[in-house]
Amino acid sequence: MSGNAALGEAAILSGCNCYFGYPITPQNELTEYMAKRMPESGGIFIQSESEIAAINMVLGASVAGARPMTSSSSPGISLKQEGISYLAADELPAVIVNMVRGGPGMGNISPAQSDYLQATRGGGHGDYRTIVLAPSSVQELADIVPVAFELADSYRNPVIILGDGMLGQMMEPVDFSGIKKIKDYPKDYILTGAENRPSRMVRSLLFDTKEEEEHNWKLYRKFQRIENNEVRCETFLTDDAEIVVVAYGIAARIAKGAIKRLRQENIKAGLLRPITLWPFPSKKILELAKHINDFFVFEMSTGQMIEDVRLALAGKGHVNFYGRPGGVIPTPIELARIVSRHYYQTQKVKR
Amino acid sequence: MAIVKIDQERCKGCSLCSEFCPKGILSISDRLNMKGYFVVAMSNEADCTGCAICALVCPDVAIEVFKN
Repeated sequence: MSGNAALGEAAILSGCNCYFGYPITPQNELTEYMAKRMPESGGIFIQSESEIAAINMVLGASVAGARPMTSSSSPGISLKQEGISYLAADELPAVIVNMVRGGPGMGNISPAQSDYLQATRGGGHGDYRTIVLAPSSVQELADIVPVAFELADSYRNPVIILGDGMLGQMMEPVDFSGIKKIKDYPKDYILTGAENRPSRMVRSLLFDTKEEEEHNWKLYRKFQRIENNEVRCETFLTDDAEIVVVAYGIAARIAKGAIKRLRQENIKAGLLRPITLWPFPSKKILELAKHINDFFVFEMSTGQMIEDVRLALAGKGHVNFYGRPGGVIPTPIELARIVSRHYYQTQKVKR
Repeated sequence: MAIVKIDQERCKGCSLCSEFCPKGILSISDRLNMKGYFVVAMSNEADCTGCAICALVCPDVAIEVFKN
């Protein structure tokens, strides 16, 4: 199954009942899959007239208590940012899928990881964050969908699934047996008609500065709660490692191949793969820095996650970087060569 | 002689087939399909042995090989 189709099926299995989308390569198969499966499963599918319309349909569906999802690729996600900011301000749950492609501007349709900063820093205007999940295989792409809906509902915040063109297009076997419909959270804020109850309002316009400040602090406390409780990451061969490669998504998969190769050459390399890009696993990096001095950040961009790694290390250790932007997919051999050259150079310096 | 048919609309230009072709005659062309991918094409049809490895590795089942 292609990554896009697997994501669609997982969304339906976890109880997504509204999908609004606008086609863009490389996430077309998701819209296509939803167009067929959503009506079959009793949900609503609308191909909107634009990305902006799609995200606002998500906002409307979320206010009405549905479990909505939308998806796009880089240029389309830029258009959705206004709506995502409103979702965060109104504290509404929603899942937004971004199958990143080469940028900036129209870019190309090849896989890239150039939307890291946009996804993890909020992206739209205002003081807010979105939870960002970055799977690295088609199976994980499917498994992470119920997690995304669960996080969105429990924290009442938009959640972004950050894939890339390669994950979306890649064909792999997928097992859906672990994906169950997630429970319904009590929603005391939704607008369903005020018959037999006092009327409610969902809004983000707060003219009173005192009120707006209080709202901002309230959101801040929620984001702190997320930072404390929801960090996820995977480590691979870090126990005896001398050098740790930090990579996420499909780049982590390439890095795993490179590390296996490096181990054969007796270079003790390990991998740290953040699964939540926000909240970032800073504590885990700091913990690794106690016995590892050498960090190697690998991304399919000119260097975006490296900022978070540097912030996490707070001056400790050495951080190096290798990246290929613009939709180029580096091979494990290429990365292994770069890391081993760097390794032997630093060894020479130590002697 | 074998005939290799490539479904241009299924191809996503991943170039797995060109990586595995023992004769090295499959490569990414400069033709775009409807999705916007540069599709794979055969350069020298006379060299093709009809081994069908390309059809076997294609993840999108875009290649058909006819032997006679």
